[in-house]
Amino acid sequence: MADTGFIPKEKWGAFIEGLSTKAQVYVPCLEGDTVLFRPFGKEKTLCFERPANSPPKSVIFPQSDTLFSFTFIKDPDNPQKTEVELKEHLDFPKTIVIGSRPCDAKGFTVYDRPYTETDTPDPYYKGRREKTTIVTMTCNSPSAGCFCTAVGGSPADKEGSDALITEVEKGYFIEALTEKGKEILQGPGVEDGKAYQGDATKKQEAVHSMVKNPFGPKGLGKVSPELFDNDEFWDNAVSKCVSCGACTYLCPTCYCFNITDEQTSDKGERIRTWDGCMYVHFTLEASGHNPRPTKFQRFKNRVGHKFSFYPEKYNGVIACCGCGRCIRYCPMSVDISEIVSNLQGA
Amino acid sequence: MGPEKMKEIITDVLKDVDVVIGYKQGFDKLHATPCFINKAEQIEEIIWSPVCVQNLASFLPSLKAKKVGVVVKGCDSRTIVQYMQEGLIDRSKVVVVGIPCTGVVSVKKVLDKVNHQPIEDVVFEADGAILVKTPAGETKLSLADVSPDKCSTCLYPTPVVYDHLAAEPIKSVKAPEDVYKDVEEFEGKSLEERKVYWEKEFDRCIRCYACRNACPMCVCQDSCIAESRDPHWISQKSNLSEKFMFHMIHSIHLAGRCVECGECERVCPMGIPVNALKKKLNHDMKALYNYEPGVNPEDKPPMYTFSVEEKKIEEHKL
Amino acid sequence: MANTINPYLPEIVTIKNVIEETPNIKSFQVVFNDPERMKTFTYEPGQVGQLSVFGVGESTFVINSPPTRMDYLQFSVMKAGEVTAALHDLYPGDQMGVRAPLGNAFPYEQMKGKKILFIGGGIGLAPLRTLILFMLDNRADYKDITIIYGSRTPPDLCYKEDLNEWEARKDVELILTVDAEYPGWKKKVGFVPTVLNEVAPSPEDTIAITCGPPIMIKFVLQNLAQLKFKDENIITTLEARMKCGIGICGRCNLGSKYICKDGPVFSLAQLKELPGAI
Repeated sequence: MADTGFIPKEKWGAFIEGLSTKAQVYVPCLEGDTVLFRPFGKEKTLCFERPANSPPKSVIFPQSDTLFSFTFIKDPDNPQKTEVELKEHLDFPKTIVIGSRPCDAKGFTVYDRPYTETDTPDPYYKGRREKTTIVTMTCNSPSAGCFCTAVGGSPADKEGSDALITEVEKGYFIEALTEKGKEILQGPGVEDGKAYQGDATKKQEAVHSMVKNPFGPKGLGKVSPELFDNDEFWDNAVSKCVSCGACTYLCPTCYCFNITDEQTSDKGERIRTWDGCMYVHFTLEASGHNPRPTKFQRFKNRVGHKFSFYPEKYNGVIACCGCGRCIRYCPMSVDISEIVSNLQGA
Repeated sequence: MGPEKMKEIITDVLKDVDVVIGYKQGFDKLHATPCFINKAEQIEEIIWSPVCVQNLASFLPSLKAKKVGVVVKGCDSRTIVQYMQEGLIDRSKVVVVGIPCTGVVSVKKVLDKVNHQPIEDVVFEADGAILVKTPAGETKLSLADVSPDKCSTCLYPTPVVYDHLAAEPIKSVKAPEDVYKDVEEFEGKSLEERKVYWEKEFDRCIRCYACRNACPMCVCQDSCIAESRDPHWISQKSNLSEKFMFHMIHSIHLAGRCVECGECERVCPMGIPVNALKKKLNHDMKALYNYEPGVNPEDKPPMYTFSVEEKKIEEHKL
Repeated sequence: MANTINPYLPEIVTIKNVIEETPNIKSFQVVFNDPERMKTFTYEPGQVGQLSVFGVGESTFVINSPPTRMDYLQFSVMKAGEVTAALHDLYPGDQMGVRAPLGNAFPYEQMKGKKILFIGGGIGLAPLRTLILFMLDNRADYKDITIIYGSRTPPDLCYKEDLNEWEARKDVELILTVDAEYPGWKKKVGFVPTVLNEVAPSPEDTIAITCGPPIMIKFVLQNLAQLKFKDENIITTLEARMKCGIGICGRCNLGSKYICKDGPVFSLAQLKELPGAI
């Protein structure tokens, strides 16, 4: 393959720094015990050893984003009359994410279908997505709770990435997967990669077999409609859930949001913020009616969305990338892979 | 002792209650997960070891309609006492299975020690050593090194309230004056230093509300000001001032109510030491009212009472 | 879709007229500030719009004036939460934002040549009103039109002017009912589903369209089934909390369908396929 490159370990830092002069670069940084995607800076402690606590979804889908601002203007001749002026915010900088994991990159492809591949594309998501290059890193080992291979991914999966980097003995092997990815090969210190292709492939295959498969040897089967609609099943499965939003906010594929107006005096903003289907408010109506008032109904919707509704709508694609974060960071260790496993028909 | 005795007790308790909340193994050997037992055959799943970290008493107010048995550690038992003080549970409908505890693990600390490798096995040895097996090999740890900070100053290793005890009571060997040492130390820093510290910590907050929802004393839950539009005190923006405001309100609502189970901090996916704020307020409540939450069912939380003059609060002299 | 570039950006409209329908329901007649837009704007009966009070937020309402009468767009708002309360504080001359049209429409083409039975309760007459007026403006396309409409008390009946007109027309049968006896009320007394059974319309060649409070819909559906209406001939329009209006934000889904985009209009046959809908 022609579109490959290699960066020796000692030039890795300079490579990232070089890219950061051309675009806004997000890298996983260690803060205390937590790994987070942050804008690159020389003072940051980079951490590629394990997946970040939260995926890089906030780079393209910020936790809070201004859809537009509004200003009220009083008519000087008629103070009773107020005009409102709206201003959109649709300027997005060129951005590179380095060190996302294959599961994180797959998360963006789950977003793409409802956000860009429709007759009403979302200009905020689409704008950032087009301006962002996703440089993914092959996992060196699985993490607690992760199960990407069981949901169609792999620790070296290329879906959703512009380039894939695999750590080999002396450095980093890069494969460009898109035009945007090829630009990365122009970064400082990139050498010819041909000689390292073999090592990288071996490494990728080795990790693949280490990932657990929670769904048994036959893989993920069909969700049993009888069990799915059995209230007792859900009640038992999620009685321990505390209905917080850690699972949804840390999920690379969870894309629900809220829209609220935040006003100060004569101006304000309409913002779009992350929201989660696990919160009781999510579907609560002004009348007091709530179509999903109990946590088991909400959890059922969450699992249903990922493993049943989304696949129904988008050609069988599962809206779960198996990153394991919802399992790893769940306050009560609720395990979605166990629940889905138990949902499979006999 | 321990798990076997606990199973015996729960077998008995199950005859008189609708459900018993205990622990079973979670997705790996390092994680326990709450189990809601209503059939005798589930009893075999029960475990008891230092991975049993969750405060199971937190589920009690939401199960008020039922008769419930619950497994509690010493620290968790204070939740039950606090619920009794605040009238949040009907004690006659709760059967408390106490388990004396010499400390639990902090999953975060263990994972740090084994470089976040997937856990293959965890074995607790009699001498307090922990063997953690990962694909990278076996690591021997001592429980004291990987316990959450709350265990290092634990004054209540034996539950303060229980109906059954699953092991011999343990006396605390910790000094009461050490409980708030960390708070006092932190208060030694300048205001500017403290501000910088908290701004850096809160910057990571993703407003997932795990700290709130896992908190046994956060009783507002579904009508929290964090999401309320009326009053609209906090916007949905993800900026420092909003995050700060949320955590301040969370802490202040817990003044003299926080039982220091540490759940808020344990569950934070961003590793923010939110428990420190609550401890700070408890420290103040102790100084002002000589009150310690969750130890005596007869107590009244100071914020539930009103006196025209408080002995230790100096009124503004006008 | 209102704005092909940015579906979240509302268009500014000015309120021309406000009608107090009931003690807690107001109708707003609005026109686009851009007079050209009033000419290019198209929609179909049953489609909805998001109304904005800037600084407060958005809420979803059906466009209840028919596309055959384009002097203004009418939305009816029952005061329930923050946005609806703010809307109730608006007067003629005030501005608001509109994102419309959103969602699907009543299958009015397939209803041509059929008998039409409308069953409404309270504010649930709003979406039916659009279709009723549309059909009356294309009267020759449809056979008998029967409207069963009820509310809690007589003052709670919406669109009183329309009701008077429909009552006077020979080509519409209007049956009004209220839940309980009320001073001066001489028409039917009883819940809408009960009145439906009394009227006992024939399912023959008939499409039933219903909207109202959830509990009313529940019993109306049961009674229509007893009257041997087929599921595909029973149409309803749903509401749910909506934010984006374009099938993304995740609130209004019933399984894989989004009320804001795939709905709000569904046949009972479609709803039976969706988890949690019935």
